[in-house]
Amino acid sequence: MLLVLTDEHKEHLAFLLEVDSAVVGEFGRIALEFLKKGSNSKIYEGAARKLNVAVETVQHGVEGIMYLLTESSKLMISEVDFQDSVLVLGFPEELNKLLLQLYLDNQKEIRNILSELGPNLPHYHNLEWRLDVQLASRALRQQIKPAVTFKLHLEQNGEESANVLQTDPATLLHLIQQLEQALGEMKTTHCRRVVRNIK
Amino acid sequence: MRFRFCGDLDCPDWVLAEISTLAKLSSVKMKLLCVQVLKDLLGEGIDYDKVTKLTSDAKFESGDIKASVAVLSFILSSAGKHNVDSESLSSELQQLGLPKEHTTGLCKSYEDKQTVLQEKLRESSLRLSRLESVSWRVDYTLSSSELREVNEPTVLLRFQVNGPDPASKEPIVASLTADKFRVLLTELKQAQVMMNALN
Repeated sequence: MLLVLTDEHKEHLAFLLEVDSAVVGEFGRIALEFLKKGSNSKIYEGAARKLNVAVETVQHGVEGIMYLLTESSKLMISEVDFQDSVLVLGFPEELNKLLLQLYLDNQKEIRNILSELGPNLPHYHNLEWRLDVQLASRALRQQIKPAVTFKLHLEQNGEESANVLQTDPATLLHLIQQLEQALGEMKTTHCRRVVRNIK
Repeated sequence: MRFRFCGDLDCPDWVLAEISTLAKLSSVKMKLLCVQVLKDLLGEGIDYDKVTKLTSDAKFESGDIKASVAVLSFILSSAGKHNVDSESLSSELQQLGLPKEHTTGLCKSYEDKQTVLQEKLRESSLRLSRLESVSWRVDYTLSSSELREVNEPTVLLRFQVNGPDPASKEPIVASLTADKFRVLLTELKQAQVMMNALN
């Protein structure tokens, strides 16, 4: 599968032709830092001053490399396809090899970062419970009414929420039975077949 | 194999694996590590520098340090949770393969702090909302816009309640006439008699 690069993207990457390969290596490293930690405009200004070009050109160059790496990692492009896609840009052989090396070394890590960007549902964080017995109320004395109270802590995108729930033991047993049935589904032949094929 | 300190269930696999890591420490260092972990369980905070110093002799990496703290935490808190006495804990740990000197050291630290630990666990059990304080005031209404001579005592009650979220602290204010207040007082006294009977 070949990457199709837009004209704007090609323009941005054309800047890389004007600098030597050590600088391109440096830009590659900066691009990876940004993918891991977020961009920092001071680095752009420093680089622009050293190379005597406008800040935007440096910024576009680095962002171009970032986009190239993320798109290739996203689509899991093979070496050959990556080289063919980069050939379009008309870079010298050395530069192509450098970009390929950058891609191969960091593909796994970039994929890890990209996997965390998908939509997120609230997920389990912690469950506290207590078992109580109600012995009397204002209306009725001499009762015995057991109840289980839960505080379910959930987490979504860094925010925590807590739900308080209460149930009697019969419903709790039913709940446990349903959840064990759900776990048991993994052991059916249908699920086993699917899981084997995914692996 | 059922263990009392795991609540009459099987011992988790990771605990078995990490007990062999613990055996690598000398028994003196392990007792000091237990003291640190107990301090953490009692809410006094753990001194990670001391822990690193203790484990540096056995050349533990950071993964090993975390694992040994986790397994000691689990053993001590489960033993407290299921009210296991220190001899049973000692025999069960020896069955799992922890050497005798390490077990004696661990059980001695556990025994020293067992009551305090169980108190702390009791306090951190799930509670939904807590009454923090009550303040009251008795007023005497002389007259109002409805009636010229009212001459009635009223009591003003203010309950400071800590809700289930740590952030919500709401004061509940109510004013009661003498009769209503008398009813409230009788009912609460009956509830108190019932609570004293159970204590």
